[in-house]
Amino acid sequence: MIGNRWRLTGARIRRVVQLLALALFVGLLLATRIRGGEGPPGAVKLFFWLDPLVLAATFLAAHAVPLMCLLALATVAATLLLGRVFCGWVCPLGTIHDIAGRTIDFVRGKRPGNEHFSRWQRAKYYLLAAFAVMTLLGAHWVTIFDPLVLLYRSITAALLPGFQWAVEEASTVIYRTDPGIGSARVTAITEPAYRFLRDGIFAVQRQSFEGAWLILVVFAAVVGMNALRRRWWCRYICPLGAMLGALSIRPLLRRRVDAGRCTGCDLCSAGCHGAAATEEPAAWKPAECMLCLNCTEACRRSGLAFTAGWPWQARTQAQRLDISRRALVASAAGGLAGLWLVRSSPLARGNTYNPSLVRPPGARAEREFLQRCTACGMCIKVCPTGGLQPALGEAGLEGLWTPRLVPQIGHCEYNCTLCGQVCPTGAIAALSVEEKHKVRIGLAAFDVRRCIPYAYGRDCMVCEEHCPIPDKAIFFVDAVVQDHDGARRTVKQPRVDPSRCIGCGICEHVCVFKDRPAVRVFSANESRHPDNQPILGEPSPY
Amino acid sequence: MTRVSRRDFMALTAGAAALGACGGRGLLAADATAGAQMSIARWTGGKDLKPEEIRQAAVRLTEKAIEAIGGMKRFVSAGSVVWVKPNIAWDRKPELAANTNPDVVATIVRLCLAAGAKKVKVGDNPCHAAQKTYASSGIADAAKEAGAEVVFLDKSRFKDMAINGEKIKTLPVYPEIIETDLVINVPVVKHHVLAKTTICMKNYMGVIEKRNTLHQDLGTCIADLTRFMKPRLCVMDAVRILTARGPTGGNPADVKLTMTVAAGTDIVALDALGAEIMGLKPADIPSIVKGEQYGLGKMDYKALSPVEMAVS
Repeated sequence: MIGNRWRLTGARIRRVVQLLALALFVGLLLATRIRGGEGPPGAVKLFFWLDPLVLAATFLAAHAVPLMCLLALATVAATLLLGRVFCGWVCPLGTIHDIAGRTIDFVRGKRPGNEHFSRWQRAKYYLLAAFAVMTLLGAHWVTIFDPLVLLYRSITAALLPGFQWAVEEASTVIYRTDPGIGSARVTAITEPAYRFLRDGIFAVQRQSFEGAWLILVVFAAVVGMNALRRRWWCRYICPLGAMLGALSIRPLLRRRVDAGRCTGCDLCSAGCHGAAATEEPAAWKPAECMLCLNCTEACRRSGLAFTAGWPWQARTQAQRLDISRRALVASAAGGLAGLWLVRSSPLARGNTYNPSLVRPPGARAEREFLQRCTACGMCIKVCPTGGLQPALGEAGLEGLWTPRLVPQIGHCEYNCTLCGQVCPTGAIAALSVEEKHKVRIGLAAFDVRRCIPYAYGRDCMVCEEHCPIPDKAIFFVDAVVQDHDGARRTVKQPRVDPSRCIGCGICEHVCVFKDRPAVRVFSANESRHPDNQPILGEPSPY
Repeated sequence: MTRVSRRDFMALTAGAAALGACGGRGLLAADATAGAQMSIARWTGGKDLKPEEIRQAAVRLTEKAIEAIGGMKRFVSAGSVVWVKPNIAWDRKPELAANTNPDVVATIVRLCLAAGAKKVKVGDNPCHAAQKTYASSGIADAAKEAGAEVVFLDKSRFKDMAINGEKIKTLPVYPEIIETDLVINVPVVKHHVLAKTTICMKNYMGVIEKRNTLHQDLGTCIADLTRFMKPRLCVMDAVRILTARGPTGGNPADVKLTMTVAAGTDIVALDALGAEIMGLKPADIPSIVKGEQYGLGKMDYKALSPVEMAVS
């Protein structure tokens, strides 16, 4: 044994690259916020541009190719040449799995066992086949399981708001109680730290998301499965991993075991990320290999290396995946069944419209929107009021975690177009401010049983005051009311001018009723659905 | 450097007033020469001003108005912390007169620092998204350039405070503002659908939360809040005024160039002047009437013999 002398191994370089990629991913995510009135640069979409599953799914479902998504061809090329390096070296969710797996093993005091290829690892290919059928028929659903999407959404909607909650609550308690010894105050440390996070990291004060618990549970389950199998998600489920695996059946870079040196000790399969080695000595499945290089690092006799070779050269040690055709056909049928499942509701058929499904401005008509939306959460992350929320059931199962505006939480800022600017697939069109001012995302309606000038005979006008339309979509009609004692007076009752209202929802947001606002925005009159427009166009009835 | 807290300062002022009362006319006369209670600076230079000329004029008007009430040194003691409270409510450009003129704000910041202020903070509680509003109003950049610290109010730092007004008893108030040595109220003169016009008194709505319920009796609530805030210096921006569809505006046709800046210690008098500039009768504005009832100032601002200046 050479001893514990540190040497620069491929696996060590890989770990550094992985951490850098994860840091870049998180950094770009944190940069996806408004700052000094300006939005983030387009480069914050880098990881989604590089994602071939997003490219393929958008092409198949929407027959569209978002220009920058062509960068994903670089990932495809790298995979054809080198195999699944993206999974092993770049994918930030993969890195989180590695860290989680190491941590779990450390806590349990275990060394990674010798894990060989399991036939169940083919499941991800069958899942991908099923999703491909759905996608071909226009459902973009596969992308909600894309690892980059899954991680982005989990950080945005669950992890970061959770961290923010802890920081805000803890620092506020310290701020209010102001503990300290003598003139030394704890706040002298906590307040600057809190301000740094508030101004530099967090986007919206007290940010929180509907259904974040489900996103958190899914994320925790996916990461927790590392206790059962290292990189469980990557090996068994990941649709992007399956896609890249299918592309790396014959990579130029291939593993070669020197039979003269191999003693069959099987150390190489301990810690193999992809469980790519089979129980036969030296045999290896390139489609499952993530090039983690743990095997070359583990081999005590340096009998194992990755070398380049031409595709046509014989590769005796490389094994095929043995995908069953019968199972593929069954998967395709399963995909059809899945489509049936998500499309069988009246909402999905376009027979009804959900009044509380107010989409962000520039969102395409619902069918086209769902053909592109990856549910990544970039729009939700960038929304400066925090009003964009992941849908739970409002858009049906197919629209799970797609964005909708919840004005009670935050309105659509009149001069803001950031959701469309950051959308990586164009599900929300990038509008100019002038275009956005003309897009109706819904229509406000007063609940006259609650609205104060109607129901309680006093002036209020908060909604009218906040209405951002220069010519005001809310106006007043004078009405004479009689109070308890019989005295008469005139109050201003608000009305909505449907020819001006664009449904931004600030009226709902600022309404003094916080439980159920007395003015609400519903999806009716949205520009994107002519069938959901009850109001005859110009001229205004008023 | 010792920092004088608000409470200490008030004790000192009370002491000084008592001394003044004992000492007779000498001190009072000194106070009178220190500056008038109110000044009005009106632009009489050329008409058809270019945007850049309007900006320079706004600076000049502000400087003159403050000079005429005794200069910033009268209000800002050396080493003090000042909060400049403009109206930064809406995501609108300066030309739309929905927020205070950024050049007026920047000039006040500069004068405070020149008078020896240790720190000048600028901030408001906007109605539109704060990040956009601070930027598009032009105030964030202008104030920062003048040397101020631009503060975004933090929802979790408001504290319930006793207002003890006729209508409002407690409200969440932003403590960082109250803790400063001086709050300079710098509103813009605007139309308001309910209040008819909003000027200095209404501008204090930006230091609190839960303000939307106050609209059900706006005049009384504004007066309650003003009494709580104990105004000492207000600088009224009427360089551009919003004449209709306020307080949000957004239509350039509703903006009028009135090229006036007024400063003073009597908030009711300044609001009365603002109402006149808007073409309204001060006696028709509930908050002004209530403010005079509370003894916060005089509606008849001319009785204060304001220093009126033509600036060109």
